[in-house]
Amino acid sequence: MENLFEELKPPVYYSLKVAGLDLSITKAVVVLWVAALAVFLLIWLPTRRLRLDGGSRFQGLVESLVEFAQNSLVGEIIGEEGKPFFPFVATLFLYIFVVNLIGLIPGSFAATSLIGTTAAWGVVVFLLYNLAGFMRHGLIGYLKHFFPQVPFFLYPIIIPLEIISHIARPASLAIRLFANVVAGHMVLLVFTFLTMTAVWFLKPLPFVMIVVMNLFEIFVAAIQAYIFAVLAAIYIGQAVATEH
Amino acid sequence: MKEGLALLGAGFAIGFGALGPAIGIGLLVSKAVEGMARQPEASGSIRTAMFVGMAFAEAIALYALVIAFILSGKG
Repeated sequence: MENLFEELKPPVYYSLKVAGLDLSITKAVVVLWVAALAVFLLIWLPTRRLRLDGGSRFQGLVESLVEFAQNSLVGEIIGEEGKPFFPFVATLFLYIFVVNLIGLIPGSFAATSLIGTTAAWGVVVFLLYNLAGFMRHGLIGYLKHFFPQVPFFLYPIIIPLEIISHIARPASLAIRLFANVVAGHMVLLVFTFLTMTAVWFLKPLPFVMIVVMNLFEIFVAAIQAYIFAVLAAIYIGQAVATEH
Repeated sequence: MKEGLALLGAGFAIGFGALGPAIGIGLLVSKAVEGMARQPEASGSIRTAMFVGMAFAEAIALYALVIAFILSGKG
């Protein structure tokens, strides 16, 4: 059991270090590229020749995906002002879902089990919603969000709290996704070790659990991608919302 | 001795850390199902709010899990 964490380290294909930064091409990087290509093909291939009469079943799949993202990821949460952010939120959902799914294929690698991957996405969401807030309200108008209508002697308490809660947002986005994926793979690894070490007539029990947990992980992959996208939409929605 | 204490701490961290979120998620889902049963037409928005709330509750357990991983790495 000592080498549980070693299983979660990606093999390095091409070592590259620039100015003290580790830019190596690891298995996780390759998985992220493959996932990006897969998402692009999934959307692009079925929609090259769009047909009004329903078209192929793949066109229907893409249509229902877009409709889901439009209604329950952007429409219900940000509202009318969310239209410019629809591509970002929808891509976030699809991309994280596909990366999680690729991670479940035996022999591949779960890129979301590295805190660096998810932290990068969290920082992108953080930058985007702050930028959206500045663009919508202007510099002064957006900074007013950090000064709520309270008696002035509460400001020394309120303002640090506001800043901490904003910094905690990308951190909790990153840690939630990362820890969910790591926990799922840990459970799978533990049951794999149990299957390998158990007496022969007890081997089927942990093996069945591997299958069940794999199915559950598919569900988790979808839920976590959905939650990441929904929270990104909520943060954007709060930043662009008009003052109430 | 030190390693043993670290492993013990890891076990306690995730054990007690999962306690609160478990109660929270239980309450959350029970109320959400109650609401859906009473008003089936509102189940869409209730489900969204439930999942988001579950994510926040679950994140707390996952912080405990991260601490447990760090501690078990020291063990």
